[in-house]
Amino acid sequence: MSSILTDIDLDTTMLLLPEILMLLGIVAMILIPNLGDATMRIPLTRTRVPIFIGGTRSEFSNNPKLPNTIASGVLGLALLTSFLYLGEEADVGNALHIDEFSRLFTLLFTSALLLATLATSTRMPAKPKATPPMVADSDEVADSKVAALIDNRRQVDFHILLLTTGLGMSLMAMATNLFMLFVCLELASLSSYVLVAFHKEADVGGEAGMKYFMVGSVVSAIGIYGMSLLYIWSGSLDMAELAATWSAMETNDPLAIIGVGMMMVAFGFKVGAAPFHLAVPDAYSGASSPIAGLLATASKAMGFVALIRLLLIVTMPPSGQAIWMLSIALIAVLTMTWGNLAALTSDNPKRMLAYSSVAHAGYMLAAMAAIGSGLADASSSSMILTAVVFHLLILVLFKLGAFLVLSMLEADGGGHRIEDLHGLVRREPAIGVAMFVFMLSLAGVPPLSGFLSKLLMINGIVSVSAGTGAVTSTTVVDWAGGVDPLFWLAVAIVLNSALSLFYYLRIGLVMFFESPETESGLRNAPNLRLAIFGCAILTILFGIGPMSEWLLDMVTSAVDSMMGL
Amino acid sequence: MGIAMAVAVIATMLFLGQIGNIDWTNITQGGYVLQNEAVELIPSIGVSWKVGADALSFPMIWLTAVLIPISMLVEWDAKRGHLFHPLLLVMEGALLGVFVVLDLFVFYVFWELTLIPMFLLILMWGGDDRRYASMKFFIYTFAASVIMLVGILVMYFHTDPISGMGSLTGHHFDLVAMTAQENLIPSEGLRHLVWLMLLIGFATKMPSVPVHTWLPDAHVQAPTAGSMLLAGVMLKMGAYGFLRVAVTVFPESTIEFIPLLIVLGMASLVYGAWVCMGQTNLKRMVAYSSVSHMGLIFLGIATMQPLGIAGALFMMFAHGIISPLLFAVAGAFKHHYHTLEIGSMRGIAHHSPWLAAHMMLGWMASLGLPLLAGFVAEVAIMIAFWMTYGWLVLLPALTLIITAVYYLSSMQRTIFESNDPEKGILPDTMHGEEPRDITWHENAGMLILGAMTVLFGIMPFIFWDMMSDWSSGFTFETLIDAMHSQGWKP
Repeated sequence: MSSILTDIDLDTTMLLLPEILMLLGIVAMILIPNLGDATMRIPLTRTRVPIFIGGTRSEFSNNPKLPNTIASGVLGLALLTSFLYLGEEADVGNALHIDEFSRLFTLLFTSALLLATLATSTRMPAKPKATPPMVADSDEVADSKVAALIDNRRQVDFHILLLTTGLGMSLMAMATNLFMLFVCLELASLSSYVLVAFHKEADVGGEAGMKYFMVGSVVSAIGIYGMSLLYIWSGSLDMAELAATWSAMETNDPLAIIGVGMMMVAFGFKVGAAPFHLAVPDAYSGASSPIAGLLATASKAMGFVALIRLLLIVTMPPSGQAIWMLSIALIAVLTMTWGNLAALTSDNPKRMLAYSSVAHAGYMLAAMAAIGSGLADASSSSMILTAVVFHLLILVLFKLGAFLVLSMLEADGGGHRIEDLHGLVRREPAIGVAMFVFMLSLAGVPPLSGFLSKLLMINGIVSVSAGTGAVTSTTVVDWAGGVDPLFWLAVAIVLNSALSLFYYLRIGLVMFFESPETESGLRNAPNLRLAIFGCAILTILFGIGPMSEWLLDMVTSAVDSMMGL
Repeated sequence: MGIAMAVAVIATMLFLGQIGNIDWTNITQGGYVLQNEAVELIPSIGVSWKVGADALSFPMIWLTAVLIPISMLVEWDAKRGHLFHPLLLVMEGALLGVFVVLDLFVFYVFWELTLIPMFLLILMWGGDDRRYASMKFFIYTFAASVIMLVGILVMYFHTDPISGMGSLTGHHFDLVAMTAQENLIPSEGLRHLVWLMLLIGFATKMPSVPVHTWLPDAHVQAPTAGSMLLAGVMLKMGAYGFLRVAVTVFPESTIEFIPLLIVLGMASLVYGAWVCMGQTNLKRMVAYSSVSHMGLIFLGIATMQPLGIAGALFMMFAHGIISPLLFAVAGAFKHHYHTLEIGSMRGIAHHSPWLAAHMMLGWMASLGLPLLAGFVAEVAIMIAFWMTYGWLVLLPALTLIITAVYYLSSMQRTIFESNDPEKGILPDTMHGEEPRDITWHENAGMLILGAMTVLFGIMPFIFWDMMSDWSSGFTFETLIDAMHSQGWKP
């Protein structure tokens, strides 16, 4: 025991402050809402000493807003500390490595969780029939409605799960050992399965959670089996050692290939890649919108960290084409096309956003395939990876932002049909315009940030592949015949983006044109409104001007530090 | 409303003040007189804020700055003016942006930005069928500009890095540098494809047959000021962008596709005029006549002569002052007689002499009466077309007869031709209301437009010299080389 304590010095511990904060938050969440006036009689005497846990709870510990306040405070602090420690680099034990890359992802996870927390502040119904506060209500009426609406105990459960998810994700981004990576991934995944099923009163909630859990555990089992094959093959699960063994491998060992392939299935499920995405739309539409948004952003980013570690650190050959390149490229095209076609035909905005999230995973996988093609040198690989990470970061703004808007509608029982969005601009002009911004950014319309990241990804693919075509060819056909097949991934992205415009703009058009089913405004949730407007403004700011430059520089240096440039 | 007007007037005054500092006669192709130092906007992908005005954009900027206050004046009494007039100012900002920027990314952003105020103008102040019209307008122009964006991106991926710009991608959107780069897209087939993509984007905005169908619907439903700006400036964005991007950067492809330009131009010109004859709605008729006149711009460019290109440029300008007058007149009919049906009224000149006078001037200018602005452009294009293509000029020339037919007949049936010289026939939609003449602000706006029509008809050289300089510079420096490389004898 003492040896562990002396091994870990205080400075390194301080670098883990975001995770420690989240852990403390979980402890506080268990303790504080249980504080009451319970006393214990000391045996054989008449003296009763207060023990504080249990009994009648005080006004403070009974407050339904308390868990949310703790969670948002903790996540806010974690966000701040992870931002402050962004440049630090250290090893913790031999399973975790803190660097700019992993801290950037902590930043991503905590900000997504913070947004989801803000969105859930007034929407945890103890009784399904309780009505939400409306804009017209006075402050007292609104407060009493909120108090009737939300129940302290369920809030505690919910927020503990949110914090565990954050803890798992954040540790997972630092893992240098496949075993550690998988344990943290499972910590986050198991919590998210429960979060999906949290509205167990609603049929869809229970069904979605169950389905997500079943598919998720099968896929995890496949991943663990693949990992065990890798262990048999190399005798180690440390990524650096695995990478060394992999590059020393003369001929492809089937054991290793099968192991990597099985792990790709597990991580592919996490990012929502076709054909492992089939549970995704059900899970998203069954979960409450903030949780669905969390799955589409933080959980997807987690899957991508795992994929980046597995594909680019462990199995990337020093030169030439990676073994997984073709399969990832095919999966990318399948994923984006399937996602977009399914989104086109979907009438439930949550399902539509779920499929659009599948399509976005396809775009990012296409960019990963460009790195794996072996045509890219170190600097263009770094540029492409920068684009992917940047896209993951800004997805938090406009994908989660769109789910937050749906979450506002959901509180009134809506959000599951496209009709609920009809005339949103007339009901709530600011929210409607924010939603329109999110849709345009998802579609990749300049000058919003969605365009910037998509352009960087397309540019990455084009710049490594287009030079291979014959320059002097006089017709398009000649040129197309000569170019590297990788180039067609860029064409697929462009065509898919054009396809996706239809359903994104459809949302925009019904918000402007159709007459609303009800004229009343939405409920009064200042936190949520603030979060939505913040997302919309940042979506624009990260697309153009100095802010975008600042974020891109941050991502570039993080990616360079990860790739050892 | 007053504040909006004041802001617009100040902006216009500032702009007019700038004109005095410019040596007009020296504006030639490639010389941007108001060019700024580029400010980096998104250096990682090579986007910078680079603006400048040359003889191509300068008349358009001037036109925008003049037309916005006039359209405000004409719709001085608009409903919900506290929203209407600010929207027009947003429109002005976006339009000026389109005309001044020299960076294709920012150009595209402003290009899309012009959609939003116009879309809202039609949606909120439009006629009965405004939802259909605004949706059609939005979908057509948005879809076309997405195709254009793909073309722009292909151009982007072929640019060489500029030194001093720390671009992550190694490419840039700088239009001046793209124009200067030798052989921007080496593969000829790809270059043609890009040129066609750009053409789709710009021709839809212009609009040219066969992608013109959004225009009549949008015009009929739009409020008067919206129609004036739509016809006056927004259509010119298409022609401007075509000349600025497609023609200037890819002159070889332009020469290759001259037959296509002629076909499109002829089709727009003849079809537009032919359809006009069958229209019973004044605004629809004027809208189709816009399609017809835009066809002449393609024909002017297709001549590949300094005179023809200058004629096309002057057509953009002249149509930019005449068509707002036409739409203001049509709007006044809608406002005071509550109908746009040509056959439903007779002898309106008795009741509204000022309106009749403005209508007569506008209609005459648009059909190309000498000494009015439209004539200068038409005659320049016709002469250049004859010089290049000989007797083929008969088709556009004869179309002018159709133009005269529909303009004259619609005018005669509306403001003249009454059996009763004292009263005329009032439309049913008046419901016994006393007919009035136009209000002072409508009158003032139309008077300014009419005065400009006459001024530029008598003294076209105010802008003509500049345009002519630009087009001869462009022809001699760029087009002739391109023709040689395509194996043409100029």
